[in-house]
Amino acid sequence: MIEVKRFLVVMLLSTGIVLAQEPELNARQLLMKMNHAMDVLNYEGTVAFFRNGKLEPMRYVHAADKGLQQERLISLNSPLREIIRNAGKVSCVFKESHQTIVDHRPFERSFLVDMPYNLDKMEDIYQFEMVGEENIAMLPSYVVAIQPKDNDRYPRRIWVEKQQFLPLKVVVYNNSGDLVEQVIFTDIEVKDALPFIDDKSIDTAYPARHIHQIQPQSSEQAAFVVTELPKGFREVFFTRQPIHNAEEPVEHLLLSDGFTSVSVYMEKKSAAMQPSIQSAGAVNSYSRVIDNYQLTVMGEVPAETVKSIAEGVKLRDLKN
Amino acid sequence: MSEDLNQKISQFLDNELNHIEALKLLHKIQSQPELQDKLNRYEVISHAIKSDAFLLTKDDFSKNIRQKIQQEPFYLLPQHKSFKRSHKQIAVAASIVIVAVIAGRSLNYPSSNSGSASILQVAQHQPTEQPVNANQDAQHPLNKRINDYLQAHNSSVYTNGEANFQPFAKVTAYSQQ
Repeated sequence: MIEVKRFLVVMLLSTGIVLAQEPELNARQLLMKMNHAMDVLNYEGTVAFFRNGKLEPMRYVHAADKGLQQERLISLNSPLREIIRNAGKVSCVFKESHQTIVDHRPFERSFLVDMPYNLDKMEDIYQFEMVGEENIAMLPSYVVAIQPKDNDRYPRRIWVEKQQFLPLKVVVYNNSGDLVEQVIFTDIEVKDALPFIDDKSIDTAYPARHIHQIQPQSSEQAAFVVTELPKGFREVFFTRQPIHNAEEPVEHLLLSDGFTSVSVYMEKKSAAMQPSIQSAGAVNSYSRVIDNYQLTVMGEVPAETVKSIAEGVKLRDLKN
Repeated sequence: MSEDLNQKISQFLDNELNHIEALKLLHKIQSQPELQDKLNRYEVISHAIKSDAFLLTKDDFSKNIRQKIQQEPFYLLPQHKSFKRSHKQIAVAASIVIVAVIAGRSLNYPSSNSGSASILQVAQHQPTEQPVNANQDAQHPLNKRINDYLQAHNSSVYTNGEANFQPFAKVTAYSQQ
């Protein structure tokens, strides 16, 4: 038995040496290890979100037990709020206004980084590479570059801690190399166990408003057809839901290549609208009018990409 | 007398007359065409002596310019009038009514809108703040619509609140600076 254990230890060490000698393979395996660590470890710390030119520091807690996970964020600055993700449900408690929003998001996993479980299918569109080692929050980390093979999406870098393989820093760059979005831990601690918060008590603490209770439908029912899509983007869901108000449902098609998501929205035209590109941080949106509908394509992709996708959208009856 | 006037014109051109004497001389020149011609001549001589460049003008040059100016149309530009107090009060009252109408419509909005909830609206806890932001929504319908889309797109709004979408050209210009 002891011999078997020795053999396994030697095998593991050998694997580590081989990984260190093959940086490209190492990068993918490192990301897979990170995926696993994010799911099974109990950890908490302070994380800063930098988006749209704003810095938002928050307390982060991830509890995991017997396959169940709970992600929890507590804001440090106003508006004070606590956000809990339980499986596909995100509850946000606004402590100052005494209200709760319960948002149903079954297709997202984490506030830190949504990493696909299977990276094999990503090889055609992204290149994974180990590009160095740095300290983040005083913890040694590997730096993994995720470089798209076209200009239709943004490059990213992830700093993965060397011992526990947790993501300590995630940065999205634009195609000029400028930082457009960042998530970074300033301190982090792995624990044996962390308590789960009863989300029912959260949802009932204040008057709760449930949103995005979507019933996915077939995109064949959409009034539009997307004809131009960058390589690797696939349909995640299509739904028709009230977004601005209950009387005017909006058709929403969510597309993703694994890292990057793009939404296509179509609703009845409410006012005269000029085609325009709007930007906020990494998110770009392009709006235009098609007959009596107004179309908006939005995503964490370059402005040219949302414009190209939007210009390829056609009304279904026009196509047929 | 003539010698005296010639001397005064010369002093005038050399800026040696005081204000009162200069005015008296100009009144005389205005009434006597021969003095105007003399002034023109003296001016040309003075200009020629004092500089290398010389621009020859006709005797009636200044007269023609004056006639041209008189032929120009006369514009009645609006005069700045200070607001009467009653007008100010009416303007303030009208503004309050407009804000109240917009705020009232916005405050009624959630009740008829069970399917949507803006992060910004929910995050505010002071009722007095709502009309102001509701008014901003009314002023920026495009931004509100796109923020609604962003909230449906992903959960980043919970970590960063409402995004201030800007025209891409403006953002690009900022990036280049």
